[in-house]
Amino acid sequence: MSGATKVIGTGPGAWFSHLGESIVAMERGYRSAFRQHRLRTILLTGLIALGLIYPLLDNYFLSGFSRNVFPLPLPDPTVMTFMTIFAIMAVGLNIVVGFAGLLDLGYVAFYAIGAYVAAFLSSPHWAALGLNLTFMSHVGPGAQGIHLPFWIILPLAVVVVATAGALLGAPTLRLRGDYLAIVTLGFGEIVPLVFKNLSSITISFNLGPINIAVANVNLTGGVQGVNPIDPPFLPFFNVLFDSRSGPLAVYFGIVMLGVAVVVARNLQFSRIGRAWMAIREDETAAAMMGVNTVRTKLLAFALGASFAGVAGAFQAAYLGATTSDFFAFSTSILVLIMIILGGIGNIWGVILGAVTLTYVNATLLPYLGQRVQDSALGLPNPAQYNFLVYGLVLLFMMRFRPQGFLPDRQREAELSVAGLAEAETALGMPVDLDNVSVAPPGQDETGAESREAETIEEARDL
Amino acid sequence: MTADLNPTSSSVPAGLLTGSLDDAALLVRSRGVTKKFGGLTAVNNVDFDIPRGSIVSLIGPNGAGKTTFFNMITGYYTPTAGEISFDGRAITSESGGKVKSRKTHEVTAMGIGRTFQNIRLFGAMTALDNVRVGLNVHLRSHWWDSVLRTPSMLREEQAAIEEAMSLLKLVDLDKRAEWWARNLPYGDQRRLEIARALATRPKLLLLDEPTAGMNNSETREMTDFIRMLRSEHGLTVLLIEHDMRVVMGISDRITVLDYGEVIAEGRPDEVRANPRVIEAYLGRGAADA
Repeated sequence: MSGATKVIGTGPGAWFSHLGESIVAMERGYRSAFRQHRLRTILLTGLIALGLIYPLLDNYFLSGFSRNVFPLPLPDPTVMTFMTIFAIMAVGLNIVVGFAGLLDLGYVAFYAIGAYVAAFLSSPHWAALGLNLTFMSHVGPGAQGIHLPFWIILPLAVVVVATAGALLGAPTLRLRGDYLAIVTLGFGEIVPLVFKNLSSITISFNLGPINIAVANVNLTGGVQGVNPIDPPFLPFFNVLFDSRSGPLAVYFGIVMLGVAVVVARNLQFSRIGRAWMAIREDETAAAMMGVNTVRTKLLAFALGASFAGVAGAFQAAYLGATTSDFFAFSTSILVLIMIILGGIGNIWGVILGAVTLTYVNATLLPYLGQRVQDSALGLPNPAQYNFLVYGLVLLFMMRFRPQGFLPDRQREAELSVAGLAEAETALGMPVDLDNVSVAPPGQDETGAESREAETIEEARDL
Repeated sequence: MTADLNPTSSSVPAGLLTGSLDDAALLVRSRGVTKKFGGLTAVNNVDFDIPRGSIVSLIGPNGAGKTTFFNMITGYYTPTAGEISFDGRAITSESGGKVKSRKTHEVTAMGIGRTFQNIRLFGAMTALDNVRVGLNVHLRSHWWDSVLRTPSMLREEQAAIEEAMSLLKLVDLDKRAEWWARNLPYGDQRRLEIARALATRPKLLLLDEPTAGMNNSETREMTDFIRMLRSEHGLTVLLIEHDMRVVMGISDRITVLDYGEVIAEGRPDEVRANPRVIEAYLGRGAADA
């Protein structure tokens, strides 16, 4: 990063040479990390390697052992696929909460929208309305309903969900801290309810030449949801990635997670990533240094949301069905706990958090529940108390390691003042150490609350 | 790339010292600016001009409204009444009896850079990244360029790093480019704030108490540095400062605020001799004596 002049050419050649340099730089970075934190680097490398080979290990050896010899709490391929789905969401929410410092409690809404985009565009759902369209899908021609391939649905889900994020963000991102959290919470509740209830629409509108009459149209599938949804399909190889395809679907998820990580990192180490960080550190100072704070926060919101869109579309296609029940408020909280546990701001940390918590939620607790039931001692079933377990885990983390498993350096520094740790991590945003006593720093300049806030601001003389 | 911020630098205009300037020679022109916070009038009906290429100071006792005025120039506060223009372009506009202000980042892009009274660096970012945030307003690459790492984005980033490094060199911080801002010594933080403000490529630099908390030799270095910014980079400087030696030594013109109103204006020697100024600072007895 020294000021050594380097000439960057134009066109694809320059791009590839940059790619080559990046790989060289990564190799160099890895060596230096290995020198500085040998144990941690070995551990992490081992974890990643294990993650990459585990699906095969499970398929050919471990699951058989667990089934036939001794029952172990091992994640099955479905759980592993959900690990990648939740990891993609954690990486996305980390952009919103970790990079930009905006607390989003309604992230599940974007997950739901992504899932319903896939549901609407690759299922027999619209056949009831006489809409039939099959395009480049493995479902044969003449199938009922709309069937687009997953490769088209994925970018569409990204666009739709990012638009939804921008629409939600535009009016709300002037709010700070708690207020934003409340609005996003509401959004997260409303969206699944909309999908649940738009199952019988009747419109009768008659005004001169405009004449709309719709009777009893089932728009979203209601409580039953939509099914069956076409699974992702790899053309030429004729491979389906659904819940019956075992480790293949896991690897499909890992590839998507890899893309998500590259996108998130490229955003983090760029102009926009620096602007996010600056806003998180000091929003007022960032604005005065020329950062368009509203636009920048909006981008964080929309881009972060689009990751949930990918996760949602994959989830729906993988399971082959979707209902609004999948998208409860608790899922928003679950993803938030994942990134807090893993280390807000650190991409590898939040992935670790997502994998760990998915494992605990979907494999470990049910396993323990089974053991408890088998023991017939009448003990409470731990699987029913999963949020109690997360609460306790979170409490212990806040007390002993508020920065998470794999902390982000910047976040860790912000947490370094004792006593603020709980508040900061709980809020998912830095508490302004200079202004702790004067409560919410400056609101919107034109808002009704601005007078009082400005007076406070003035009292501090900026 | 050098740190030459305004290649079309001008020397001190002829009319500057006499105070007779037409509007074209003014970089900032404000008329009847008033700011009320609820019942408190922080700034009251202030006319205040900054000639191009000058070093102008705004002084006054604590709570006189200096920083409030600063914040109105930068668009952070919207004046209750009055008008402010910068470089011939309006910062405030009036519609339906209500004054509106340009957004802070727009004002920054117009060419106003600032520092803060109590340092507001991005503490957990490196010195280099702090300056690069200041350059942000001049970067053109979009988020999709960042995602795809397009060659144009890479070139722009490379140029930004070089420009940021040359600014760090200007404030003698190039050796500490990779330090976190919060870990820098106090004097370095002050200079880093100026480098960050310079990165926005300003025509006007607003310095809020740049020598606060500095010892004599540091203060002297800072005043020399501010003079150099004017003479070599063609910057116009507006200063809020409590250290009267600095103010008297460096300013072409001084405006004195008290209770939000201008009580004196002129060359340093004129302001120094003004009885109202002495009264405001030292009390009525001192002025009569």
